Amino acid sequence: MLPMISVSDLHKHYRVHNRPPGVMAALKSLVHRDYKEVRAVDGITFSVEPGERVGFLGPNGAGKTTTLKVLSGLLHPTRGQVRVGGFTPKDRRDAFLSTITLVMGQKQQLMWDLPPSETFELNRGIYDISRSRFNETIAELSSWLELGSLVSKPTRQLSLGERMKCELAAALIHRPSVLFLDEPTIGLDVSMQSTIRAFIKQYNERYGATLILTSHYMDDVTALCPRVVVVDRGKLSYDGGLEELVTRIRPEKRVMLRLDRDVDASAWEGFGKVVSTEGRSVVLQVPNEQASAIITRALDAFPVEDLTIENAPLEEVMSELFSRSRAAAEEGDT
Amino acid sequence: MSLRNTVRAMPVILKVSFSEALAYRAEFMIWVLTTTMPLIMLALWSAVASEAPVGRFGQTQFTAYFLSTFIVRQLTSSWAAWQMNYEVRHGVMSMRLLKPIHPLWSYAAEHWAALPMRLVVAIPMAAIALAVVGARQLPSDPAIWGIWCASMAGAWLIGFLTGVTVGCLSFHLESSVKVMDVWFALFFMASGYLFPIVLLPSAIRHVVDWLPFRYQLGLPVEIMTGAYDRAGALWMVARQWGFVLLLLGLATIAWRTGIKRFEAYGG
Amino acid sequence: MLRYATLLYVQIRASLLLALQYRWDFVIDGAISVLWAVTALVPLTVAFGERASIAGWTFGEALLVLGWFTLLQGILEGAINPSLVGVVEHIRRGTLDFVLIKPADSQFLVSTARFLPWRATNAVTAAAVFVYAFRRIGHGPSIQGVAAALVLFATAVLLLYSLWILTVSAAFYVVKVDNLTYLFGAVFDAARWPSSIFKGALRLVFTFVIPLALMTTFPAQALLDRLSLPTLAGAIAGALLFAGAARFVWLQSIRKYTSASS
Repeated sequence: MLPMISVSDLHKHYRVHNRPPGVMAALKSLVHRDYKEVRAVDGITFSVEPGERVGFLGPNGAGKTTTLKVLSGLLHPTRGQVRVGGFTPKDRRDAFLSTITLVMGQKQQLMWDLPPSETFELNRGIYDISRSRFNETIAELSSWLELGSLVSKPTRQLSLGERMKCELAAALIHRPSVLFLDEPTIGLDVSMQSTIRAFIKQYNERYGATLILTSHYMDDVTALCPRVVVVDRGKLSYDGGLEELVTRIRPEKRVMLRLDRDVDASAWEGFGKVVSTEGRSVVLQVPNEQASAIITRALDAFPVEDLTIENAPLEEVMSELFSRSRAAAEEGDT
Repeated sequence: MSLRNTVRAMPVILKVSFSEALAYRAEFMIWVLTTTMPLIMLALWSAVASEAPVGRFGQTQFTAYFLSTFIVRQLTSSWAAWQMNYEVRHGVMSMRLLKPIHPLWSYAAEHWAALPMRLVVAIPMAAIALAVVGARQLPSDPAIWGIWCASMAGAWLIGFLTGVTVGCLSFHLESSVKVMDVWFALFFMASGYLFPIVLLPSAIRHVVDWLPFRYQLGLPVEIMTGAYDRAGALWMVARQWGFVLLLLGLATIAWRTGIKRFEAYGG
Repeated sequence: MLRYATLLYVQIRASLLLALQYRWDFVIDGAISVLWAVTALVPLTVAFGERASIAGWTFGEALLVLGWFTLLQGILEGAINPSLVGVVEHIRRGTLDFVLIKPADSQFLVSTARFLPWRATNAVTAAAVFVYAFRRIGHGPSIQGVAAALVLFATAVLLLYSLWILTVSAAFYVVKVDNLTYLFGAVFDAARWPSSIFKGALRLVFTFVIPLALMTTFPAQALLDRLSLPTLAGAIAGALLFAGAARFVWLQSIRKYTSASS
């Protein structure tokens, strides 16, 4: 089967104006301006199979949004090949546009002073969707997202979470098979985030849609994306399973133990690295392959009431990954 | 983007855009109040004409002229330049570009959808004008009114296409709205908005004849206040549509180059 | 006081830095200023081509009104409009709280938040109009005329600013007042012409309700030594009264805003 999305050696470079601080410097820049080239995306290659859910991770300014904009045809690549659903995105053909959707958590398409239902109706006209299929899709999206009467209130009266739900519905009315989601849960509370996540997964499973998601909330990625692509400074630094990423960067487990009495931190030396002790709980970090041996020893030596084993939190994995790549880059610079 | 799709989508777009225009009716009324310049000019020129008429303009003719100006301005004005500037800067343009309909068609549709609201203001003003100046001031030839309709369409197109052309500059410049200010200043002087063009000295009038501004406002006003016979009106409308074609070309080029830049740099 | 002077300096400096980033604005703003002065000049020229005097004003005299108008328009668009448009935006987005928690007078802070320095080009245009006007009239103004006109100019600025504060205060009660800026500008446009061209109700409105006559026609009359002392005194008193009322309404609006949002 052909991949749904294929990107090979994608580059996107910009020329930006250097603006130094201060009045004198500003006056000087009236006459002469310095430009420098920014490589927002600097040679990225990956492909996504139909129906896959891929998390796109990276620190701010890594090139995530730029890549999504290239994939949706809003930006033209400086160099490299991009194919989405058999189309070249930059041509922005009607058939291509009807295949994809782009949801940006910080931008909206809903008309501010009209109810979302009017935006749905407008999109029905624009995407040329038959009335029966439109009604069917709306009914389905409404029940998944529990839209209810939200769609008939003016958008400005909706809360941020309600607006995001309607925003998603508006973006999916034409049943796109490729979804680009740029920070779809930004600013939402925890329960709304999980509602949105569940919905996205439901849509993906129902329609076999391919999706690429960027998010700062690692929970989004953990819940939705079996595969992650990590970009840093325009370059690909990891592409593969989420689990493998975690075990590669942090080949240690977190072991949390609760005892029936207060913990004496010194007694735990020799059981791996003590991350924290608090009251009756202790958190250890142990190498993967020694985990079971250490746990057996601990169970023998202490009165353990409760035990949990986890991978290191994704946030920590990511920050470690980025600091490693930064260190590597600095070494390369000198 | 196929024309067939656009035509099929049009009724829905018009309907929804009309609802949107309705939702902004308060803002719209304020905007109507801001276009009271013709009434202020009417006060000025009535003061001038109070002792003796100016050319063929007595107080009645000035009243007919400036009330017509108000009506034509209401029905033919365009806000495309400001809207495009806003949308490019706030990322709304990206959303539009991802829809399978050409953004310029949707801008045009939004303008048309606001027309009913504008008629709500224009029709009473027309009734007042009729009551004040009397029907005898108006041309009685139906053909003239047919030509007038063509001149209104042309006037709207000149305004809209200019707006689009300037709006496309916002892909390149942050201050494209200022270019619109310059256009407006020229429009005020050379369109017949502040005074009937015929009052200008003939040397200047010849220059104005070769600028688009007069065809954007003055021409329909002149036709509806009976300044032309059939042949004269037809000849002027032909020149007007020449400008329409010219601006159509300009707007197309501006859009293409603007989008090219947008695709290179993003919004 | 010194603290407020420092604050003003800081705010103006920031605006200046911002303005310098947009180098073309200097050229464009200058061109726009000249063009708008010309848009007023052209109908005057056309009208006075037919008559030696209109509603008691000769061409040169009417130009004085236009000169004051150009100057005030520069102040309105360069110093008053930008920051107060910012208030409307603050209210709409709910960020006014950031201003209100600062330890300085809120009206001062919002009124000095932003300037458009390039609008100073209007002053140059106005000076040119004045010079041309007095050449048409044939003699310069008297010392006391200039003094009276300058006093009236100061009251005009105060009036304009107070009117704006009143308009913006409306933003606390009505949700959307962005367009009020345009409305204000459109009404202010009527101040290009000597107020005596307006008849009946319109004249009363432009003298007492929206005192456009006080802003441009009175200073022009002062330059021509035509303004009586009582009128001058009345104009000053009126402007002060207006400013006091605007301050009062502003404080009321802020109180309403803070009590509603808590």
